[in-house]
Amino acid sequence: MAESDGSSDSFSPRSSGSARSRLSLPSASRNGSDSQRRRRRLSGNLGRPPASERGDEEDGEEPGSSEGGGDERSRRMIRNQYRELICSVQQNREDMLSSKSNRLTEALEEANQLFSGVSCAREAALDAQFLVLASNLGKEKANELRSEITTFDSLTFAEDLLTFMGINRTETEGNDSDSESMSGGYLPSNAWYKLGEEAEKYFRRAPSFHYMLGSFKSEPPVPRQRIERQRKAPGGEGKRAMPAQLKKMEESHQEATAKEVERILRLLQTLFRNDPHTPISFFDLVVDPNSFARTVENIFHVSFIVRDGLARIKLDDDKLPVIEPVQNVEERNDDHSTRARNQVVISLSHEEWREIVETYEITEPMISPPDSIEDEMETA
Amino acid sequence: MSQRKRSRGSGLTQGDDEDFSVVPTQSPSQVQRNLESRSQEEIDRKVTELVQFLLVKDQKKIPIKRVDILKKVIREYKDVYSEIVNRAGRTLQQVFGLQMVEIDTKHHIYILTSTLPRVEGENLKQDIQTAKLGLLIVILSFIFMKGNSAKDSAVWEFLRRLRLNPGEKHKVFGDVKKLVMEEFVRQKYLEITPIPLTDPPEFNFQWGPRAAKETSKKDILSFVAKVGAYGGSPFFFFFFFFFFFFGGGGAEGRP
Repeated sequence: MAESDGSSDSFSPRSSGSARSRLSLPSASRNGSDSQRRRRRLSGNLGRPPASERGDEEDGEEPGSSEGGGDERSRRMIRNQYRELICSVQQNREDMLSSKSNRLTEALEEANQLFSGVSCAREAALDAQFLVLASNLGKEKANELRSEITTFDSLTFAEDLLTFMGINRTETEGNDSDSESMSGGYLPSNAWYKLGEEAEKYFRRAPSFHYMLGSFKSEPPVPRQRIERQRKAPGGEGKRAMPAQLKKMEESHQEATAKEVERILRLLQTLFRNDPHTPISFFDLVVDPNSFARTVENIFHVSFIVRDGLARIKLDDDKLPVIEPVQNVEERNDDHSTRARNQVVISLSHEEWREIVETYEITEPMISPPDSIEDEMETA
Repeated sequence: MSQRKRSRGSGLTQGDDEDFSVVPTQSPSQVQRNLESRSQEEIDRKVTELVQFLLVKDQKKIPIKRVDILKKVIREYKDVYSEIVNRAGRTLQQVFGLQMVEIDTKHHIYILTSTLPRVEGENLKQDIQTAKLGLLIVILSFIFMKGNSAKDSAVWEFLRRLRLNPGEKHKVFGDVKKLVMEEFVRQKYLEITPIPLTDPPEFNFQWGPRAAKETSKKDILSFVAKVGAYGGSPFFFFFFFFFFFFGGGGAEGRP
């Protein structure tokens, strides 16, 4: 009859009802042979493997005959033992994982022994549960195994990190009473920043993007403002400029035309003074052989003179237009009131202008261009 | 529903209830046709919006989901999604030196990483993010040296040696446990999974996908070497270099 003592401290191999499986398990747990053990375990029902070299865990007990009558009771007991075994393994996880302990091996042995008494599915299920537990533990243990050559000493690594961070190790400060004996010392406040600065070199981290002046509100208001601004702009700027400059501008405008007109009038009078009896050919006066635009401008200015009655245009004997200033003031007034005014529309195309230039053989303009310099030169 | 998914750019605004989890797969010629139905300005505007969206979203280092991109930025321009994303990627690269990297191909989640090489002494801004990175690199190094995965008890024991206690409030980090178990995990720097059948539950620490993209084992090994830790044997580094150059990894075999 198999009995478990329930304590977690010692697992001694039990003699089992049947001799179906008896494995000798070497006690060394460092050789990572869990998987090997598992394989043997599973196939262990087939035969009796040879005795181990050590043999101290083998009691060499011969199995007795299997229980017949107390079947239900023994089954219950097996289940109990399994549950206890599972429980103890879970409780003592850390201990089992320690590379110094054989506990996992012993637990496997125990389960192995128990299994030999199993004949029904219910107990087998418990055995399977234990197997899952043990194999997880085994995997973890294997993970913790390191080949002798590449041991990673986390303790030293921690110390080196502290040194890197600039720890001040003082002699007077005693060690913690912890069994873990952490080193004493004072870690400066920028310790982690220093480490972080070094760490950045090993990362391809995208720098955090922040708007320098804060973020704006979302888009919709902006286009409206822009439109309004555009509409305002031409008017606004014009208006803004007006108080300061407007007078000047308007004056200059008026001045410009008036000036021009006066200038031309003076010119006309001068020319006519020189030769009072010959009316000046209209085209000779206005046409500028160098610029069509100037020609048109001249005609424009001359028309003011005519409108104001200061000169008159008439057709001479050749039916060509001639212009002569109106000298007499009285004449002017009279003319105004008595004579009906004639309106003439002159159209001049570029072609016609060219023809006139050729026909009249105009080489230089009578009315000089109104450049201020030239003007001054003229008057001077 | 399926019809809407297959709809090509009609140029009409579609309702909010549209399914943004699906992007219609399109051939380049289809995208080209859809592009023509929109003005250059519109597309450029969307590209700019996407770039700004990505940059702002990346501030907290929380990975960006494609669903969010579609819902908040692309919206009715879904049919030219691939073109917009391509152009945004180019802008990120050419203007900022950043790239959009997918860390989850199933759910389409992205992060931004830098493509520029680190220059010595260029970090002028040191803030809490710098300190957190210091903590992170320590954890990542530990995990790596333990064979790419480590138990939480081992990690915390190690951190305790560095004066970081999960129960105490730290002067720099505050709630260290929250930082490690929540923030780093959310940012995908760490992956913490519970170990099955453990009671009380224990956890397994591994590198997260962001860590894998932003740094490498080689980099972390350089860091460890620089800090100057090696234990055991002078052949440590010799073997470690071979260890990971020739398909190294822990028992998990994860890169």
